[in-house]
Amino acid sequence: MTAIGVAPAGPAPGSFFGGGATGWGFGGLAIALVLLPLAIPDYQQVFVAEILVWGLFAMSFAMVFGFGGMLSFSQAVFFGMGCYGFNLGTLFFGFNTWGAVASAVVAAALFAVPVGYIATRVRHHHFLIVTVIISVLVTAVLESGHWRWIAGPYVTVSLTFVPEVPLGIAKLSFIHEWVAYYFTVVMVAAAFFVAWRIVHSPFGRAMLAIKDNEMRAQMIGLNVNKLRWMLFVIAAGIAGHAGALYALLARYTNLEFFHWVYSGKAIVMAIIGGVGSLVGPFVGTAFYMLSTEYLSHYFQQFIIVFGFILLLVIRYAPDGIWGVVVRSVREWGRDGQAAKP
Amino acid sequence: MSDLVIILAMNGLVWGLIIALIALGLSIIFGLLDIINVAHGDFFMVGTVFAWTVILLTGNFWLAFLIVPLIGMLLGSLVERTVIRPVENSAALSIVATFGLSLILQEAVRATFGATPKRILDPIGITLPILGLDYQVYRLFAAAVAIAAIVAFFLFLHRTKFGTWMRATRQDRDTAIAMGVPSNRIFVVTFGLGTAMAMLGGVVAAPITTVEFRLGLDVLPLCFMAVIIGGLGNLPGTAAAAVLLAFVEGLITSVTEPTTARICSLIFMSAVLLLRPQGIFARSTR
Repeated sequence: MTAIGVAPAGPAPGSFFGGGATGWGFGGLAIALVLLPLAIPDYQQVFVAEILVWGLFAMSFAMVFGFGGMLSFSQAVFFGMGCYGFNLGTLFFGFNTWGAVASAVVAAALFAVPVGYIATRVRHHHFLIVTVIISVLVTAVLESGHWRWIAGPYVTVSLTFVPEVPLGIAKLSFIHEWVAYYFTVVMVAAAFFVAWRIVHSPFGRAMLAIKDNEMRAQMIGLNVNKLRWMLFVIAAGIAGHAGALYALLARYTNLEFFHWVYSGKAIVMAIIGGVGSLVGPFVGTAFYMLSTEYLSHYFQQFIIVFGFILLLVIRYAPDGIWGVVVRSVREWGRDGQAAKP
Repeated sequence: MSDLVIILAMNGLVWGLIIALIALGLSIIFGLLDIINVAHGDFFMVGTVFAWTVILLTGNFWLAFLIVPLIGMLLGSLVERTVIRPVENSAALSIVATFGLSLILQEAVRATFGATPKRILDPIGITLPILGLDYQVYRLFAAAVAIAAIVAFFLFLHRTKFGTWMRATRQDRDTAIAMGVPSNRIFVVTFGLGTAMAMLGGVVAAPITTVEFRLGLDVLPLCFMAVIIGGLGNLPGTAAAAVLLAFVEGLITSVTEPTTARICSLIFMSAVLLLRPQGIFARSTR
């Protein structure tokens, strides 16, 4: 597909706290997230945690689309598989919270292995169609009375107990909002860190090369299908991670998370925020959820506004809100330097 | 038992013809503009809603067959000019744009028409004994309309100047432009035509299905399957695949339950995709 957005101009590969503006930005953000609970009431802490979870989900889409050029409508399936894996880990295997989150990631990634094998074999429009169809297939299986036994009773589940996070000798209970908040922040930050390292690794560079010009990437010896497949599976694991965090936070999971319309939600949030970077989707999600939360009182069908915002963003700022911010900051910096004698 | 088989197979055939009509619209838009229109199912849904509205306003269902495709033509042309044209250089972004369009259509219908599903009464209301069974005449009529529309579409494509232009643009856009084909006009008309076909499909199907704002979400994957099995951009193949698929699904449904039939066709589709990505009807290339 045609290249869109800008390549992430982060630090050199391998240096996460690479200094410069990026390092300061992440440091400041980390401090802000740690101190935030002091400033806002309990229920809003959970709301912020929810934004981070959906942001992570949107980021998983930005990985496959912004860095791999794959317009995937199946991220929701992996989000759902994360919820399912979490329930399976908690209720079937009796894992603690860490184990359940891990099993969610494994479930989503494992499911992505065969799915990705089929989907990454085809290109462009076929890829999109295949991902929609896979989502339809999974939803059809889970909805039907006849085939539901495959998944067992673990798809649509409400947790009957308050989840706990065992931490050394202490056990932190989700009954406190701040536990839910900090746990989500730490887990999302960990996933973000992993994703950051991946897209700035030689593998990530190779993916960008493939996205720009597949033929040329093949000529320099990249195994295109295999790399696409790998990225697809990694992004699926991250979507599954987001699913597990959501299941923890909301303590319920739903069949509709598997539906490709939910992938559409990720697409809307990621594109509005900007898919050229990993930060953009979080910005887009925050924008989406804050405006839905505070403006939907006035207008029930608020999503219609997001349809229009999406069209406007695509037309006038294809690199999204975050892309515009980064661009203007960079231009401003350049002007500042030029003005110096 | 055998009665059930006949009924389900006939229903499958009728539904397949309607899907063929819609999928042809999807396929022609793909063939010329090189985008997958994710909002195509929602145009179908808007068609059913307009059919319902026409009945509400005039009390005459048959009027919808005339009015709704015209609205579709206008709506599609407008969408092409305002939504697709500005981002035509990036296929991925145009597809995302059609997704935004799909959100807008769905929510607009939900805001105006309401979220509760509604039904349209059988406008003919006569059943005909066929092979010892009472069969709704309207379904036969629906099949006839779908066939007529498909035939008209192919005649338009092969017998008129505009259709020839469309085929030329699809084959080689640059050469067509060099030969003086007004490609911008072709794109507008193509999108309008595709939308009109989806909305006509909506009118035809309205008395058979429920009218609801989420209807497009079920129809779009069916069109996708037809388009994959028939070959993306292969118009006769798409139509044939849609009919075949729905017919076979109807047959399978008569022996087992619907999800199993759907799973069978999805697996068949995956096999086609892996083994013959150009579709099962394509001549062997090279």
